[in-house]
Amino acid sequence: MKNGLALFLGVFATLALSWAGLLLTAHHQIGGLSQFKDPADETLYPQPTSGLANQGRLVYQDLGCVTCHTQQVRQHGFGNDLEEGRKWGERGSYARDYIRDKVVLIGRNRIGPDLRNVGVRIPEPEYFYKLLYAPESKFAGQTIAHGMPPYRFLFDVHAVAGRQPSTHAVNMGREGPGAGFEVVPTDRAVALVAYLQSLKDTYDYPTERDRNKPAPAAKEAGHH
Amino acid sequence: MNPSANNRSEQIEIDASAKWPVLVFFGSALLWLLLGGLMQLASSMQLHQPGFLASWPWTTHGRLAPAAQNALVYGWGMNAAFAFGLWLMARLSATTLRHGGWLFVAAIFWNVGLVLGLGGILGGYSTSFELLEMPRFVTFLLLAAYALVGVWGVTTFSIRNTENVYASQWYLFGAAFWFPWLYAVAQVMLFRAPVRGVLQPVVNAWYVHGLYNLWFVPVTLAAAYYFLPKLLGKSIKNYYLSPLAFWWLAIASAFAGGSRLIGAPVPVWIPTLGIVANMLLVVGVVVVGINLLGTLAGSYGAARSSLTLRFVLVSILGFFLAAALNLALSMRELAATVQFTVFDGLRDWVTFYACFSTAMFGAAYFILPRLTGKEWRSGALIKVHAGATTLGVILMVVGLAYAGWHQGNLLNEPTVPFRDVTNAMTFWFAYRTGVLGLLLVGHVAFLLNFIWISCPINSQGTAAASFRTPPALSLEGHA
Repeated sequence: MKNGLALFLGVFATLALSWAGLLLTAHHQIGGLSQFKDPADETLYPQPTSGLANQGRLVYQDLGCVTCHTQQVRQHGFGNDLEEGRKWGERGSYARDYIRDKVVLIGRNRIGPDLRNVGVRIPEPEYFYKLLYAPESKFAGQTIAHGMPPYRFLFDVHAVAGRQPSTHAVNMGREGPGAGFEVVPTDRAVALVAYLQSLKDTYDYPTERDRNKPAPAAKEAGHH
Repeated sequence: MNPSANNRSEQIEIDASAKWPVLVFFGSALLWLLLGGLMQLASSMQLHQPGFLASWPWTTHGRLAPAAQNALVYGWGMNAAFAFGLWLMARLSATTLRHGGWLFVAAIFWNVGLVLGLGGILGGYSTSFELLEMPRFVTFLLLAAYALVGVWGVTTFSIRNTENVYASQWYLFGAAFWFPWLYAVAQVMLFRAPVRGVLQPVVNAWYVHGLYNLWFVPVTLAAAYYFLPKLLGKSIKNYYLSPLAFWWLAIASAFAGGSRLIGAPVPVWIPTLGIVANMLLVVGVVVVGINLLGTLAGSYGAARSSLTLRFVLVSILGFFLAAALNLALSMRELAATVQFTVFDGLRDWVTFYACFSTAMFGAAYFILPRLTGKEWRSGALIKVHAGATTLGVILMVVGLAYAGWHQGNLLNEPTVPFRDVTNAMTFWFAYRTGVLGLLLVGHVAFLLNFIWISCPINSQGTAAASFRTPPALSLEGHA
């Protein structure tokens, strides 16, 4: 190979082909994926998230939660995400689930649990506040998390004396700062928790349901 | 095809023209290597000491870990690749690096862009897309700085004084074009005009795979194709096959990005295409093996006696290991188990560290004495660096491969509570901190030697051609 121009054209074509073949084709296929209108209740799914949850997603992004948490539930037959015990969701994730997210962070590490359906698993906001303030604290008699860093900077801790107690204060129990002080989540903490609670893919699209089934066993296949 | 056909006085002239750009890029690369290494060490500690540096938002794990990775990849990796690539392009094109002053501008822009970008990540402006975490406001700065470097590399190539174009030049030329396209396309498709839904992870996977395999791997192969024949004094075995390897690797790597999304909620043809590409890649890797291992055959003794060749040898093994990991992680059964574990992370670590970084260390041990006309000051520090790197790579690969396998099996065993997985991993995260610390010791040793050799007021050593060799690890005698 001595010809600089041929080299350039080849180098250009290599990446151009991969861009067109992979990204453009994928964009053509699913870039226009729309909400699904349920025929029974005439509602569009996935439903858009609230403004507060959207702000919380920004906090999720800025704190880099994606470093340790995935947001993708793998289908039956690939890993055990749906088995009783782990149960990261009722069903595997579909591409359509993500069109409501402005920024899609499916993650690459499960140092912590998957969060795609954490809003279903844990309905209580208090749980999340305790988790963020003191991950090793107890909720309903159970230690919440091991190995997660605390995010105390998402909370205001101040003395109660001489002021109206906050209605948003969270009782941190033994992990709290003690008597005479209260722990109040900042706006960022409130938004982040709203976001975490919004993470739930509960609607099962009839159009996509068959993708989630285990492959039929070879023996049964003959009967149908 | 011997690239060293040009005579010694020409080489000295070329080296003189490349001296300051290379020293500036390599010096900044080493500072980032140290800084990124320290941040990586701290963020690794946070995984077994969750409270460590957790009370301050700037150093929370979710910010510190990506900042460390960006510092290493864009700070150490890119700067080192700039230094090495510009020098090698000038050498192989038998032409001086002209108007090198502009490269200082590039170095300043690049490094200022990085400082701002990392500050952005630590300050809370991270985008959270892997290796694209730096906030949008530094994109232009980085691309402008890169444009200068890329234009200089390509211009040097196009005013070459040689008849033939050597394999290393194809790889450098290809990388010079691939990186800016990958980066610009990713920026546009994720931030300027964002694509919707799961297309975002697809773009991100395409970019990350491209950055590692169409930038860092080609630069590594440029080094391997250059140093083996140069230092062994023989030409590349079956050289006529090398264009095949180049195009095969380029095309397969460009399509392999989807293999990172096995099991992800994307159309299934995307990971499948990636899996097929990774399987096809094997052919290219085998051809590289025929070239490089064929050249090495019978000369392993000589390779051991040369410090540069030692590093290059580790780097070639790293290349094969990275390809093997890409292939292994494309197997659905294995991927189902080790996905999302430290095993999964090993593939990029091997590509970036075991393959690319070791090649740059080897190159630096060859280039810097020739540029400065001085010898390496301390043989002991060289030994520390070489020893720490080799041992660190082995410990990291063996340890984390086992740890990731273990972690994956626990994660996929639904009866094991999640906290038991975390507890089981605590030891391995501490282990990784230890290995990162070991590697950092080597880097500090290297930095000290670099400061000694590059400092202008240190006038020890004068002759460009008389390299006294430290006892155990000899530096090459011929230029």
